[in-house]
Amino acid sequence: MFDFDATLPLMAVQFLLLMAILNVIFFKPLTKAIDERSEYIRSNEVDAKERLAKAEALAQQYERDLAESRKQYQATIAAAQSEAQAIAAQKIAEAQQLAQAQREQAQKEIGEQKQAAMTALEQQVEALSQQILNKILMGV
Amino acid sequence: MLSFLTNSSFVLANLEVGEHFYWQIGGLKVHGQVFLVSWFVIAILVIASLLATRNIQRIPSGIQNLMEYALDFVRELAKNQLGEKDYRPWVPFIGTLFLFIFVSNWSGALVPWKLIKLPAGELAAPTNDINTTVALALLVSLAYFYAGFSKKGLGYFAKYVQPTPILLPIAVLEDFTKPLSLSFRLFGNILADELVVAVLVLLVPLFVPLPVMLLGLFTSAIQALVFATLAGAYIHEALEGHGEEHEEH
Repeated sequence: MFDFDATLPLMAVQFLLLMAILNVIFFKPLTKAIDERSEYIRSNEVDAKERLAKAEALAQQYERDLAESRKQYQATIAAAQSEAQAIAAQKIAEAQQLAQAQREQAQKEIGEQKQAAMTALEQQVEALSQQILNKILMGV
Repeated sequence: MLSFLTNSSFVLANLEVGEHFYWQIGGLKVHGQVFLVSWFVIAILVIASLLATRNIQRIPSGIQNLMEYALDFVRELAKNQLGEKDYRPWVPFIGTLFLFIFVSNWSGALVPWKLIKLPAGELAAPTNDINTTVALALLVSLAYFYAGFSKKGLGYFAKYVQPTPILLPIAVLEDFTKPLSLSFRLFGNILADELVVAVLVLLVPLFVPLPVMLLGLFTSAIQALVFATLAGAYIHEALEGHGEEHEEH
């Protein structure tokens, strides 16, 4: 069982040969592949992080722009509304004045006509009372 | 038991331990069955690596994903043991140790080698031969000596007398116990597992050995992990000077 012979040194040489062969066809190429892959992943990660940061900055910029334009349009709407209210108030006041004037005019005319009608009526009453008086006096 | 320890075959029914399929190379005897299976293991690793790296994609799929997972695993293992700073040059060594031992162990547990008849001995995991595990353990020893010398030059020897010269014998002894424990742990676990499975299969051929086989798969993976982890720990210790004692499994 424990018989040492030339198997021992030959096996050692064979092992060293195997190591040399595997170093060339296995360890070196695959180590290189793994290192290259991790390098690739690292550089891609850095690149992606940069792009992400850029995208986030852009998003913030857009957010700011959006807030600004929202503020602007709100201000514009407020201005337009107040303007419109002012115009409406003015128009209403004008219309009320006009209506007031027209009403006053109409009342004045009514008063005048009433006056005229009254005088005409008075004259007619005068004439009628004269006629009545004449008739009564003639009968006497 | 004596015959068990000496260089003889230990036969339990048709169970063979210590029988080898000898090849004669020049004046040297080698264990053919160990090399056959180790070539199989090496072929699996090389083919899987070639398939994984034939067309490397940024988004991995299929075999590339699997091998990347394996690479990540051994890289993490080496990083945990050696630290972020100097784990990189040691990844191939520790990674190859782990992959070779792991695939060897599992090939011994999963591939029905018994179907292939050899003139002598039988095919099994290369790690159940003491030669393989001692070879690997000695390589780990060389690796950590190399790590220590390349980092500190001759100053590496300072670690032997660093806290106090009284511990010098123990420090020297450690250099012998490390490869010894590494090799015997792996060898013993794998051999014992295969023996237990073989004996159980012999006694009750159906279903009963299955839990032990599953346990064997688990042990095999753990032993590969332990071997690679301890190799990393020893190298780290050599790089860092006298480190804390590492837990032995």
